[in-house]
Amino acid sequence: MYKAVVIGGSAGSFQVITRILSSLPKNFPLPVLLSLHRLKHVRSGFVEALSIKSTIPIVEPYDKETIKPGKGYLAPANYHMYIELNKRIALSAEEPVNHSRPSIDLTFETAAQAYRNKLVGIILSGANRDGAYGLKKLKQTGGLAIVQDPNECQVKTMTEASLKLTTVDHIFTTDQIIKFLQKIK
Amino acid sequence: MNKYELGIVDTRNIIKTLQDVYNYDFKNYALTFFKRRVEKTIINHNLKDADGFIRKIELEKEFFEVFLQEICVENTEAFRDPSLWRLLKEEIFPQTIKGSTSFKIWFPEVSSGDELFSAAIVLKKLNLLDKVQLIASSISELDIEKTKQGIFDPKKTEVNDANFKRVFSDENLPDFYKIDGDKARWDTSLIENTKFIKQNIIFDDYPKGIKLVLFRNQMIYYNQILQERFIKIIYSSLVPGGHFIIGNNEKIDYWNSEKDFSLINKDESIYKKKLS
Repeated sequence: MYKAVVIGGSAGSFQVITRILSSLPKNFPLPVLLSLHRLKHVRSGFVEALSIKSTIPIVEPYDKETIKPGKGYLAPANYHMYIELNKRIALSAEEPVNHSRPSIDLTFETAAQAYRNKLVGIILSGANRDGAYGLKKLKQTGGLAIVQDPNECQVKTMTEASLKLTTVDHIFTTDQIIKFLQKIK
Repeated sequence: MNKYELGIVDTRNIIKTLQDVYNYDFKNYALTFFKRRVEKTIINHNLKDADGFIRKIELEKEFFEVFLQEICVENTEAFRDPSLWRLLKEEIFPQTIKGSTSFKIWFPEVSSGDELFSAAIVLKKLNLLDKVQLIASSISELDIEKTKQGIFDPKKTEVNDANFKRVFSDENLPDFYKIDGDKARWDTSLIENTKFIKQNIIFDDYPKGIKLVLFRNQMIYYNQILQERFIKIIYSSLVPGGHFIIGNNEKIDYWNSEKDFSLINKDESIYKKKLS
């Protein structure tokens, strides 16, 4: 019933993301859209590091690339990553939002418009409020909102800001997030 | 958070108004991007909603110019992707310009001018600036004026300086700009021979005989139809063997495009027009 998963976090949530990506079934049926805060002048290394353990292929997409199931799309350094209504990636070098480019809010907001109630959104540990507004939009358009349990996060700002703004569907530990994703058919 | 959300019908009405009143066709801009620029304009100018925007744009030509500047997104910084600028400095500029007569470099959408000044500074340091003709066009008259005056946002200086150090190790960018209150200004002698062209949106009057086109991170704001149209224009503007550089996550990818261009550097998205 779901068509896509969108995940937001900061470089600090790298280990959690690696655990999630290494636990997905090889034939995971949905695309995974990753908007993660990262150093803007370091272009290479991140997608390679995520790919080592991931069971699904991870790419930094080209502009207007068609989104395919069973593939991970990581927002490239120094670009925002939008989801167009026709399910293609659109990159943008517009001004930072919440001091961030990529901005998690913008990926979540545009993914929510494209996938409506067929979208799962997950906010992980992070050091600023980016993502909270995007998760709210996702919830408003009928998506399923999940936030990582702040007790498990090294930095709680992002998850707590999200919980403050939105009544989410689940507050999950990393293990629970993994179990939930593994059940998606 | 201060937010206004534009519906799909409102977006279409705005595109129709811009077409009817100014004969500018935005329907092939990327939709999420176009919506966001209009929303931003509505908030910044306290216009309340789409109707407010439409009324103002119909009445005020000056406001239309302000909107065009909003659509021409600022470059993020000077010397974005220092690895490309190092390659231009060490290989492409010296190898292609020396010995060439009338070397023209075209910036199809100059927007805030960061790419133009970056190129001019590298050329100046290579003693090649007087051997090239820089051509900068924009659909925004306001951006052209701002670029001619060398004005840029002083908030960018930190990242500009850091990028510059990655291109020219140990040297200082500040020799090329001045901070003046809340404004920063490039040394405009760098662009005293640059030719500026105000383009209309269909670019029907584009320069010819170009040897290098720098058009990074601008076509990402178009849909595939408009991207293809621009690439065809750039193909016609370039001499055979001319270089075409786009953003590092952009791609030339239309039917049969490999007969027009070859990709000569994948990491920096550098293409070369085929010899036909």
